[in-house]
Amino acid sequence: MPSSQTPPAGSTALDPTAIRPAIDDARIIRTSPAALRDELIALRGAGYAMLSDVGGVDYLAREPRFDVVYHLLKLELNGARAHRVRVLCGVPGVEPVVPTVSDLWPSADWAEREVYDLFGISFSGHPDLRRIQMPAEWEGHPLRKDYPLRGPARERTPRPSFALKSNVAAGTPAAGKTAAALQRQIAAARGQATVGSAAADELAAEPNAARGAQLPKDGSK
Amino acid sequence: MVPAPAGALTMDVVEHENNRMVLSMGPQHPSTHGVLQVITEIEGEVVTRAEPEIGYLHTGIEKSAENLFWTQASTVIERMDYLSPLSNALCYILGVEKLLGVTELIPERAQQVRVLLCELSRIASHCVWLGTGGIDLGAISSFFYAFDMRERILDLNELAGGARMHPNYLRIGGLRDDLPAGFLERLDALIAMYRPRMTELRALLQKNPILQDRMIDIGIISADDAIAWGVTGPSLRAAGVAYDVRRAFPYSGYENYDFNVVTRTEGDAYARFLVRLDEMDESMRIIEQVRKNLVGGPIMADDTKFTPPPKETIAVSMEALIHHFKYVSESFRVPPGDVYTAVEGPRGELGYYIVSNGDNRPWRVRTRPASLYNLQILKKIAVGELIADMVVMIGSLDPVFGEVDR
Repeated sequence: MPSSQTPPAGSTALDPTAIRPAIDDARIIRTSPAALRDELIALRGAGYAMLSDVGGVDYLAREPRFDVVYHLLKLELNGARAHRVRVLCGVPGVEPVVPTVSDLWPSADWAEREVYDLFGISFSGHPDLRRIQMPAEWEGHPLRKDYPLRGPARERTPRPSFALKSNVAAGTPAAGKTAAALQRQIAAARGQATVGSAAADELAAEPNAARGAQLPKDGSK
Repeated sequence: MVPAPAGALTMDVVEHENNRMVLSMGPQHPSTHGVLQVITEIEGEVVTRAEPEIGYLHTGIEKSAENLFWTQASTVIERMDYLSPLSNALCYILGVEKLLGVTELIPERAQQVRVLLCELSRIASHCVWLGTGGIDLGAISSFFYAFDMRERILDLNELAGGARMHPNYLRIGGLRDDLPAGFLERLDALIAMYRPRMTELRALLQKNPILQDRMIDIGIISADDAIAWGVTGPSLRAAGVAYDVRRAFPYSGYENYDFNVVTRTEGDAYARFLVRLDEMDESMRIIEQVRKNLVGGPIMADDTKFTPPPKETIAVSMEALIHHFKYVSESFRVPPGDVYTAVEGPRGELGYYIVSNGDNRPWRVRTRPASLYNLQILKKIAVGELIADMVVMIGSLDPVFGEVDR
């Protein structure tokens, strides 16, 4: 099952931010990776001292595909009102690279690593660009829209219910198990005798439970 | 696998010149307040470099939210900062309401109750920080005083929303239900016990010479550093910057309440400790004002485009039944657009950048996690401090790992 939000193939370019109604939350500036640093340096000079956040959005069918979103904050100092500005930097889907701003604002360090980790957008010049949330050996970038919700590996197999680890390891699909069947399966895996002939009959008709009984104890309990 | 760049501090580094060694603190360590690993390079007992490693609690909440209806997403979003779930829910809901363009339609009573519960959860969250922070420094008894008060606030959550931790009580358009009978009496009891309890807690901790020795001049954050590193909340105000989202960008009627933005200038762990204590008192002042001025009236906006029909009409009205079915089974659609909303959570500026493509699910929900940015500065402030003081610094930044890792 693809992610429920994957747009149909051939759908037109999508950018909800282009047709947004007027919401007075921040001034919006659009820019490109080449002009990004100059834009942000100019804003910092204009008093936007805090880089609140760096995030990403994947528009999939749009070109440029990604937006890297910078939120800057001008603090309420010397009588001036606090202000926000949002810089949207369009990034192409092929070899997405944005210059880092972690040298301008140390707060960008982890935020850029997170965008890299979850969207696969590189930040050139970042001193320590590696995954931050996902394990280092993870494949793929989970917040991309073409990344399935449950992950590529689990998308290929039927969804297991909350089954025994040993069954999952043995590749036994356990979908559709009732709670009672699961209880019996657990008892069988622990080597306990099941009580009642009806239960025994059902157990015999339950190949997964029988397999569970033969599985070696792997310390999963 | 991406190899760590040359010079990065990892556990693979086993030997160093100058008698330095690399020590891993966590990820399972009682003082890290969650699953945080700090890889530290130490020379004797002095930290020369520190690299916090996060992500152990990553649960993909932002991805999950993209695949849920607008109404359902707030249930998972509440689980980010699990010590103040209502702040998370409020911020997300305010953003969706802005996208819908219905901010003006939210009834007065709903806004007041939102403020009330969010301030209560700020006190509850600071109680956890106070209790566990005390334990970090050997002050066991403060834990019981603080957690007892927190339990009473969670009881109020349970009374209002049916669950202690994640009540999912705030809804797009207002509140799920009106406050139940007996809520205000128990709130009054809490208000009555608050000040004596805080006096006791302050007597236990504030002038305690052991605590002062451990906290004063530890982990100093200057105002410039705090701004550059994106630190917000009590940690920023302890550095002397009076930035509070409730004051700078008022929401839910905060402009109507009389409260002080507490600041200190020292910027050390003790200043952050005092700012949080004073902030709890300010929160209680807001709660008292809400209690005094609480108005009656509806608790849900009167617009059936994005609110469910009243429950009692479902049994007698066919239209209401159909409406309810449609509301639950396919939710509502939100006009395309993007919005950034922020609230003042217990840990600082908690923000959501929400993008809608006009569908019944959010296209993107990006969190601006206050804890993540606050924790990041540990890299800087830990250098030159003793390894034992690392515990104090982590505690004084008050990170919540549900929010850092999401």
